[in-house]
Amino acid sequence: MSLEARSLAVAMGDNEPTPSPPGNNGGSLLSVITEGVGELSVIDPEVAQKACQEVLEKVKLLHGGVAVSSRGTPLELVNGDGVDSEIHCLDETPTQIREEEDEMGATMASGTAKGSRRRRQNNSAKQSWLLRLFESKLFDISMAISYLYNSKEPGVQAYIGNRLFCFRNEDVDFYLPQLLNMYIHMDEDVGDAIKPYIVHRCRQSINFSLQCALLLGAYSSDMHISTQRHSRGTKLRKLILSDELKPAHRKRELPSLSPAPDTGLSPSKRTHQRSKSDATASISLSSNLKRTASNPKVENEDEELSSSTESIDNSFSSPVRLAPEREFIKSLMAIGKRLATLPTKEQKTQRLISELSLLNHKLPARVWLPTAGFDHHVVRVPHTQAVVLNSKDKAPYLIYVEVLECENFDTTSVPARIPENRIRSTRSVENLPECGITHEQRAGSFSTVPNYDNDDEAWSVDDIGELQVELPEVHTNSCDNISQFSVDSITSQESKEPVFIAAGDIRRRLSEQLAHTPTAFRRDPEDPSAVALKEPWQEKVRRIREGSPYGHLPNWRLLSVIVKCGDDLRQELLAFQVLKQLQVKKQSQLSLLDYFLQEHGSYTTEAFLSAQRNFVQSCAGYCLVCYLLQVKDRHNGNILLDAEGHIIHIDFGFILSSSPRNLGFETSAFKLTTEFVDVMGGLDGDMFNYYKMLMLQGLIAARKHMDKVVQIVEIMQQGSQLPCFHGSSTIRNLKERFHMSMTEEQLQLLVEQMVDGSMRSITTKLYDGFQYLTNGIM
Amino acid sequence: MAQVEKRGGLLRKSSASKKPLKEKVVLMYDEIFMTEDPSKCSPRFWEELFLMKVNLEYLEGKLESLDGEELMKIKDNINCLFQHCIQALGEEHPIRVVNALQTLCALIRGVHQKNKSTSGFDIINMLMGFDKAELCMKNLMESLDSLLCAEGSESLKSLCLKLLLCLVTVTDNISQNTILEYVMINSIFEAILQILSHPPSRREHGYDAVVLLALLVNYRKYESVNPYIVKLSIVDDEATLNGMGLVIAQALSEYNRQYKDKEEEHQSGFFSALTNMVGSMFIADAHEKISVQTNEAILLALYEAVHLNRNFITVLAQSHPEIGLVTTPVSPVPTTPATPLGTTPPSSDVISSVELPLDADVQTSNLLITFLKYSSIVMQDTKDEHRLHSGKLCLIILTCIAEDQYANAFLHDDNMNFRVNLHRMPMRHRKKAADKNLPCRPLVCAVLDLMVEFIVTHMMKEFPMDLYVRCIQVVHKLLCYQKKCRVRLHYTWRELWSALINLLKFLMSNETVLLAKHNIFTLALMIVNLFNMFITYGDTFLPTPSSYDELYYEIIRMHQSFDNLYSMVLRLSTNAGQWKEAASKVTHALVNIRAIINHFNPKIESYAAVNHISQLSEEQVLEVVRANYDTLTLKLQDGLDQYERYSEQHKEAAFFKELVRSISTNVRRNLAFHTLSQEVLLKEFSTIS
Repeated sequence: MSLEARSLAVAMGDNEPTPSPPGNNGGSLLSVITEGVGELSVIDPEVAQKACQEVLEKVKLLHGGVAVSSRGTPLELVNGDGVDSEIHCLDETPTQIREEEDEMGATMASGTAKGSRRRRQNNSAKQSWLLRLFESKLFDISMAISYLYNSKEPGVQAYIGNRLFCFRNEDVDFYLPQLLNMYIHMDEDVGDAIKPYIVHRCRQSINFSLQCALLLGAYSSDMHISTQRHSRGTKLRKLILSDELKPAHRKRELPSLSPAPDTGLSPSKRTHQRSKSDATASISLSSNLKRTASNPKVENEDEELSSSTESIDNSFSSPVRLAPEREFIKSLMAIGKRLATLPTKEQKTQRLISELSLLNHKLPARVWLPTAGFDHHVVRVPHTQAVVLNSKDKAPYLIYVEVLECENFDTTSVPARIPENRIRSTRSVENLPECGITHEQRAGSFSTVPNYDNDDEAWSVDDIGELQVELPEVHTNSCDNISQFSVDSITSQESKEPVFIAAGDIRRRLSEQLAHTPTAFRRDPEDPSAVALKEPWQEKVRRIREGSPYGHLPNWRLLSVIVKCGDDLRQELLAFQVLKQLQVKKQSQLSLLDYFLQEHGSYTTEAFLSAQRNFVQSCAGYCLVCYLLQVKDRHNGNILLDAEGHIIHIDFGFILSSSPRNLGFETSAFKLTTEFVDVMGGLDGDMFNYYKMLMLQGLIAARKHMDKVVQIVEIMQQGSQLPCFHGSSTIRNLKERFHMSMTEEQLQLLVEQMVDGSMRSITTKLYDGFQYLTNGIM
Repeated sequence: MAQVEKRGGLLRKSSASKKPLKEKVVLMYDEIFMTEDPSKCSPRFWEELFLMKVNLEYLEGKLESLDGEELMKIKDNINCLFQHCIQALGEEHPIRVVNALQTLCALIRGVHQKNKSTSGFDIINMLMGFDKAELCMKNLMESLDSLLCAEGSESLKSLCLKLLLCLVTVTDNISQNTILEYVMINSIFEAILQILSHPPSRREHGYDAVVLLALLVNYRKYESVNPYIVKLSIVDDEATLNGMGLVIAQALSEYNRQYKDKEEEHQSGFFSALTNMVGSMFIADAHEKISVQTNEAILLALYEAVHLNRNFITVLAQSHPEIGLVTTPVSPVPTTPATPLGTTPPSSDVISSVELPLDADVQTSNLLITFLKYSSIVMQDTKDEHRLHSGKLCLIILTCIAEDQYANAFLHDDNMNFRVNLHRMPMRHRKKAADKNLPCRPLVCAVLDLMVEFIVTHMMKEFPMDLYVRCIQVVHKLLCYQKKCRVRLHYTWRELWSALINLLKFLMSNETVLLAKHNIFTLALMIVNLFNMFITYGDTFLPTPSSYDELYYEIIRMHQSFDNLYSMVLRLSTNAGQWKEAASKVTHALVNIRAIINHFNPKIESYAAVNHISQLSEEQVLEVVRANYDTLTLKLQDGLDQYERYSEQHKEAAFFKELVRSISTNVRRNLAFHTLSQEVLLKEFSTIS
């Protein structure tokens, strides 16, 4: 919501200073909308615009990942809780736009950009002007990138290279792919200008290092001809990987203690645990502790041990900063590849779960998800929650990752491993006193529960405690009578009076309870992902937290990641995705509208209306993006819907000039089926008109930012052999699609045409049919 | 290489030529068997002795041939030998260590075989002398411990384990083996754990280590505090527990594989026999022949782990690829198990060690699945004693699992679906189910299937009452969990119901035979109470309302059986016979079932009369049932969802004593063969020297 507020401001800012002739029209249009639908609607063109840039950015990132695939590490991790992730991604764009527009206005920005180009060509004497521009407050990263790309003056480049240090990290991060691509594929001077900045940032942030390394690897591998430049990228990459760039203050003398593989056991996160083998482990390191073969006082030794091993751990903590993370990514990719070899989804799921459980043995570790917005360490992958997603030959999968937030990734020590079973007390007489406390507390909270056990074994008490704790709380509202019922059975025990119940009641309760259970999909072995994704995020977090040995820690967080690894084909891009959305259609076996009705209540309810609005808004935004970037492969499997009705596109594997298998399908501008229109209230509905209006607004807004968009694409085209840049006309076509020359009236007509065309388009339907036949995606 | 061969050839030649003569080592043994101190005349006697290749047969045979008194005469020399053996264990040269270990084996066995009747204390005196025994054993255990933990030769470690196994199994009754008292004081538990937690050593010695542990845990289990029990119960190191699980899983799946091979062999043999038109005569015993030696030792280890150590339960669900096909078993732990990712040097080790075989046919499995398959094979045939033991132990383990909260959680986990191919006994009246069509379900379904399978296949004259009781208990415990946690399992309960009803029928039709041996009323009561559980608590765990209807249908359909049961228990409870009390309990338990039958039967009859139908279809009966629930009142019975927890202490002690005895004998028998083969060791160490 905060985002909406912010973007609202952006939209207003955008509107007011527009000096261009169609400005009036734009204004009136806006006011119409505000009258009609309410102020929230104003956001949308901006959202579309942002989404557009964001998608472009993502696509770039994705390409990075793809290219890496040739080396065998294709990975893109994108986090997110549906909306969250979007906000996260958008965060960068809006702020940027706001800065720019508040102070200068969009048109002016592009004007100066164009102007400067002219100037550069004409006369270098105007450099003082340039300098003034550079030094002015208005000079932002987008302009910097543009100058860096276009300018041939080493001085300018060097200046901008220095200037990079002044920008906010997040702003620059947005353009990181461009920067690195330039570094690799453009001449020396640009590279020299950028390098100090990158090195500086690498020193600061390990996450930045990782991203650089991945991107550099990705872009470098595109280049086969120019080995000299190629090697420049590779060199930098090696430099980053070699870890010479770690923060200076961390460069301390490491004891020359090797991890002691020769003694058979090495210092370990496991050494914090209480067990005999720890004792032996620590001996190999700390000679002051000697294990005696017959020491019965293992318990007493523990604290001593853990403290001593901890210090060892710390001294070991930073030999190679990036290696663990790369190993982590590699193992995730390896899992994906192995999954792809399995024939059935069921086998894939089974294998995935088992592989992840093995992976758990090596966590927690100094690894992180590059996608999260905070510093953290990954501690556990709840393996049973993982699902394989629908895809025919690749096996993208969704995993949840438990992390512990920490202040600083580098300096905070890796959390100690807590075994899976730690929540349970050990069934031993010795251990009971210490573990008993927690269990008694638990049992205490369910004090009405009788002690079923008559035998006096000490552990029976906590067993019952556990049992009761696991009672699903959800039921409490729907089955009051049941709990009363079980109380009945207890009291009857005491009073010894026969209790009678009606068979009809039992039967009724059974059917009532089943009716009360939320509309869960029946588990389908063919599509296990649907059930997993249906569960509301909050509930899932709560459930996983309960089951996790780390769940009690206050800084515990759950993140989700989709891992998709491609084969050698570049076409296969990385998937990213978002939680809380689901591929509803196949499961619910309903039409989209019916699904909306089912999930959000009847037409008139608040929930339905807001969901509908969300749907329309997001749909408009994405349609525009699809059109501008020519995103293809838009079958229903690639379109997700979140719980609030937002539509979300995934898998930007085919954009710009590339199209799946060149079948020539999908000739329409974007995907808009009658089902979509039905949700919007039919062809004559207000919502549909609103949709068209949003489209128009979005297009107009997008035009203002054409330069920036084109610039991003242009830079990335450098030295790239990606299929989306096939043909020479890619950029030109892209520019054409912005229809800069049209008036707004013409644009309106164009939108009408496109919407019409898309809707009637048989090919969209055909393509869905095609996907259904080949991949079983409905 | 050539040199080695040459040397080998030379050795062979020389030993062959010397055959009529006595080996030097034998001569030295003879000296020991004199009453005089052998080191008197040759001061380097002991040093030399351990350079000689041990002649186990001779040494053992010689010791055996002496009777108690003769042995007492040379006690000093034997004590001396024992002490020098222990000293030699600390030597640097592995040949000496090997020889010392083997000599110790021979000594311990030789002395025991001779002295079967004598007490453990005599044996300690004979070997070490009372005064020195404590120190001696302490040194011995410490040496073994450091040998096992050191980065030494694998075969040396193996020999250490063999010696320990030999020590533990010399007596039939492990609790009478007094020497083990020293093994209790000087624990080698940590060394065993280390072997299990370390993948390479686990691969080599895991089996022996696990068997040794299982046996040590059973030493005077019920009489005194056994430190191994205490220690095993608190182990929480995942690497170790997983290691143990893997060893067990490997052994069990090896058995499963062997069985499967034999079965296939048989089938092909059977088909060829069929073509010869004589095969049909042998079908009956053809199936009985398929028996592979069961492995109770490993099953006992599994039991102790599950029973004593709660953390081990998690290992049951720990996935591993189906072992057996894989030559190098995949470890759940990377080769450097204790290295956190954060500190590993950049290497691909971490990945490659986790690399699972890419074979798509290899189904992921876990210890529990392997165990269930194993159980399904073992429980098929409970005729001979070994298998009866195994089957019983399987059911006991299942009981422990069914009681465990965490185990139940993953048994019922909807995310963990597996296809479990249980072995089904081929029977005349049913076809062998096609394995491939099995659906993928939560693991608890496989457990229930196994129980149903057991129920329907063991209704025979030699009625395994004890196993049946355990089987019903397992089902009951699972139901209790489902009821408490409101788990609605999509299981075809009907199969269970009809199996239970058939069992009741069997009990009644064989009343006289069975009553002579067993109290069939406890079993009948348990079965009836299972039905009561479904009837009164069905709303909490049945998957659909119609499954509740089906329950009624099944009861009404089989009302004859319940009627018969009722009249039987009524008859016996009114007689003042032996079974009065037990039978009357069943009478009370039957109240709801009888209420259902008495309530619906007239309704169904009148429905048939009104509609002029002689035979109602299932759908019609269900319709009547649905329409008439509201007028039926049931009585809530006490304690349906309560059970007595499994406790080994009193009830099972005798069984485990007997089991451990047979395992000891078995291990000892197998050891004889292994320990004697010295070739590998000699080869290994001859190159070092």
